[in-house]
Amino acid sequence: MSSRGPLSRLAPRRRASGRAVSVWLIALLVAAVATIQIRSEAEVERSLVGIDTTSLAFLIDDLHRANESLQAESADLAQRKATLESGGSGAADQVLSDEAKHLRAVEGLVPVHGPGVVITIDATGLTALDLQDALNNLSAGGAEAMAVNDRRVVAGVPIEQMGNGVAVDGVFIAAPWTITTIGDSNRIAEVADAMTQQLRADRRVRQASYRVEADVSIRAVVSGRPFLYAVAS
Amino acid sequence: MTRRQMLSMIVVAVVALATGFLVAGQVKARLLTPSNQVARYQALVRSVQDLEATNAEARARIAALRAQIDALESDAAGRSAATQALRGQVADLRAHAGLTAMHGPGVEVRLANGVPGPDTGGLSRYLVNYQDVQDVVNLLFAQGAEGIAVNGRRITPLTAYSGSAGQVIVDQGPPLSSPIKVTAVGDRNRMAAALDDASALPDIRARQVQFQLHLTFLGSPDLLLPAYDSSLRIPHVSAS
Repeated sequence: MSSRGPLSRLAPRRRASGRAVSVWLIALLVAAVATIQIRSEAEVERSLVGIDTTSLAFLIDDLHRANESLQAESADLAQRKATLESGGSGAADQVLSDEAKHLRAVEGLVPVHGPGVVITIDATGLTALDLQDALNNLSAGGAEAMAVNDRRVVAGVPIEQMGNGVAVDGVFIAAPWTITTIGDSNRIAEVADAMTQQLRADRRVRQASYRVEADVSIRAVVSGRPFLYAVAS
Repeated sequence: MTRRQMLSMIVVAVVALATGFLVAGQVKARLLTPSNQVARYQALVRSVQDLEATNAEARARIAALRAQIDALESDAAGRSAATQALRGQVADLRAHAGLTAMHGPGVEVRLANGVPGPDTGGLSRYLVNYQDVQDVVNLLFAQGAEGIAVNGRRITPLTAYSGSAGQVIVDQGPPLSSPIKVTAVGDRNRMAAALDDASALPDIRARQVQFQLHLTFLGSPDLLLPAYDSSLRIPHVSAS
């Protein structure tokens, strides 16, 4: 008979079951951590759905260009402010005259010229939306002044579908369309190249081409419209 | 110690070691060990966020500089009648270029994403895109709008729209996404009638049916448009 008595046989069993519980607890912990890990990764991937890598890269490119443009504007304005601070009413007159000249060009109120690209599209059945898309792509691609068949176009000039075709500012424009642009001709040419390639694949289009020119002239102007409803704050 | 006990201890030690490594790795990576793809995404997203912050700062600086210039010009105009007259002309040009805040009667159009359809084939036609915004703005201008803002970003004569996959970029601004609010001041009745016309905005109308894309509008007797706060530079253009 053992000196430990009957209870001494239970001690090793308790130790064994204790170890088993420990192993199970650790296994459970491992499973929990693995689950959290997998779910965390899935969560992040879900949050990025909708914006693919390519779109993000384009977005970064756009924002870089936008920020450069904003910095240039900021530098121009700082220069204008310095001129106003340093001079009297003569300096103010000069700053105001320069700004008036600039804004007239921006709003299409005066003839302009500069480097650019001329695009010709001969087609039947193109719509006002097609023309709006083309002009927007050119504008986003660096065009700073534009005209279609000698009709000046700025944002706000109505381009509408009429029964017999497309009208710019209420005037019907017949085919072929000649889109004249002034701006960064390298960037505009890239857009024009992609655009004309795409157009040539369209059954409605008989011919689409473009040419880069060192000095394009746009003589057409937009007629100014007074505000009837809006009040400057 | 029996062989079985020894084996159990080894198993416990290995499992504890593995758990330790996992927990340490998890804590280090804040509950996320990114795969290369996720890490690349995160780097790109961080770049976009940094550029957007720079963009916002630059636009705030431009708005502040324009206000300071306006104050200096106002001082100069107070001293000279000729400067005053010139300033009046520039004020009108600025208003038409969107450089001045304005208010008046108008409409507010709300565009919001629909729901993905069963047969979209990976396309994102249920999302509001930049062409939708462009179409709405063009329609409103054609129907009597005198000034427009998109989510508080003023439209100017040089405005261009771009973007992809539900992102709408207006000029040099940061990307906008659904819901998009287009606010137009002008001939309220004419604009409302055009927006009610079932034949207008055909692509949006078709996607309203197919993907429940959201297009609603509300007229108002007085809406406020902020001033444009970005660049109107045209460095390649010279007046003839």
